Amino acid sequence: MLRFFGMRLTQLALVVLAVTLLFYWMLNLLPGNPCVAAFGGAATEEQIAECERDRNLDDPVIVQWAKWGGDVLTGDFGKSYLTGRSFGEALNTALPRTLLLLAYSQILALGAAIPLGLWSGYKQNSVGDKIASGGAFALLSTPVFVLGLVLILVFAVRLDWFDLSGYQPISEGLVSHFKVMFLPSITLAAGLLPIYLRLLRTDVIGTLQEDFVGTARAKGLPVRHVLIRHVLRPSSFTLLTIFGIQAAQAVNGAIVVEFLFDLDGVGSLLVSWVAAREFLLVQTLVALIAAVFVTVTTLVDLIYSVLDPRVRRK
Amino acid sequence: MSDTSTTLARVLRPDAAPRQRRHNVALLLSVGWLILVIASAVLAPWLGFLDDPHRPLAGPPEEGPSWSNWFGTDQLGRDMFARSVWGGRLSLSIAGPAVGIGIVVGGLLGVVAGYFGKWIDLGISSVVNVALALPALVFALFIVTMLGQSYLNVTIAVTILTIPAIARIARAQALRFADREFVTVADMMGARWPRLLFREVLPNVVPALASIAFLAMGIVIIAEGSLSFIGVSVGSPSITWGNILSSGKGRLEDAPHIALITGGVMFVTLMALNFVGDEMLRRLDVREARI
Repeated sequence: MLRFFGMRLTQLALVVLAVTLLFYWMLNLLPGNPCVAAFGGAATEEQIAECERDRNLDDPVIVQWAKWGGDVLTGDFGKSYLTGRSFGEALNTALPRTLLLLAYSQILALGAAIPLGLWSGYKQNSVGDKIASGGAFALLSTPVFVLGLVLILVFAVRLDWFDLSGYQPISEGLVSHFKVMFLPSITLAAGLLPIYLRLLRTDVIGTLQEDFVGTARAKGLPVRHVLIRHVLRPSSFTLLTIFGIQAAQAVNGAIVVEFLFDLDGVGSLLVSWVAAREFLLVQTLVALIAAVFVTVTTLVDLIYSVLDPRVRRK
Repeated sequence: MSDTSTTLARVLRPDAAPRQRRHNVALLLSVGWLILVIASAVLAPWLGFLDDPHRPLAGPPEEGPSWSNWFGTDQLGRDMFARSVWGGRLSLSIAGPAVGIGIVVGGLLGVVAGYFGKWIDLGISSVVNVALALPALVFALFIVTMLGQSYLNVTIAVTILTIPAIARIARAQALRFADREFVTVADMMGARWPRLLFREVLPNVVPALASIAFLAMGIVIIAEGSLSFIGVSVGSPSITWGNILSSGKGRLEDAPHIALITGGVMFVTLMALNFVGDEMLRRLDVREARI
């Protein structure tokens, strides 16, 4: 067990190092040095000189990267040389918004997928199951931005139920917060729902064939109890794995959703930095996102191995 | 081993049950729509009835669908039907090569990993798994930003994204066939690894790859659409489905048809691609292929 954990964590550290080095090195592909290339003439001599000093451009790339890594680890994420705004400051306002959006959409997606999946697997091939499967198929074919536009048109423009005025923090009142966050969360959840639903349904159909389900039913336990306590439980493994994989998918969606609903989260930050040619900030952010995701996947793996010892033997 | 004619016969089974027949109708509709979209995208420059997508005031600005402008007009009065067709042309001309290269490279990587196993598999699989764990759009964004917004660079970015997913599926399929009797027999008869790999294992992976190509096409169209929606795909004045939708976003109140019709065309195209892909997987028994 300890050996397995140690192995996975070493692997994680190596992958994080490799991925950040890759993204660090990619900036050097640009013509000119990264500082000059990044600003494309928009910065003054002093700003470029400051940047060159901060980035240790006289050192070999791998040393630059190590020093940059050290800065990041000690909490110095750099700053915009054009506006002077620090990376940490920008992330401080953006990150909570993105995390809330992701959390709400996951809750909505799972909250809908679990009952629907259980029921559709139990009533396999019924009319309701077919409608659910058809709906899931249609949702899988709808790009996030198309669905978002339709929802905006119907619920914000025509019915005027929700605001599109940009982000409202919880401290400004729960009602205005949810009025702003509801449509984006639904939009993002709609992309995740069909994947959860399909997997859960397949799982449920498989589990229903098991003897212990028959026993539970024969004991006279109500269907609802059997489905929740006996059928859902083995599927929690599948849901956990998929949750890990879908986390990356959710971030893809979040970038588009934040742009669509003007939420100014991490995704919007990324897009606006790309537009402003703040390559150094883009690179730090992308490397951080990569590190977070590799870590999340490893953690999911580790949790999985604690829950199901068979995994460790592979 | 599957040759083309039996594969086709299995996909279009004539002796089908009613449920199968309903699926046949949907399959024909999907294929028909895809042919229509692809043909209009390819032939766009030579279609006489198609307006110039860049010409302003082809009709009154922001008019809904009419007889002269089937899909209505946009803010500048440009014909939306022509813009949808030309947008599809660009989206497909990115998605086509991206999926083609993705299938060849990803397919080979996956088959090699699944067939040889051991450290080759370990190496390829680790890279693939890391790539799959990362949010694809973030990296497409990064690549396009670094290399510049051009047709070639966007195609490169989305191609890189398809490779790991395809490699993973090809590997799983190759693993399934690598230990089958006919491979063992060929091995014992003295066939060398290129023959085993390309003549025995690879042909069995092809049905899966062909089905996956349709699904991958849908994913690439969405990826490119997302990039151009947030303004990071091929720059203007190029027309893509994504940037038409992006411009329609601000006009939802007065001219919802701009976003709705283009979104609808995208939705139907993606549905058709997913349906054809799913049906092929099902009819070629790709999932149930294990013994």
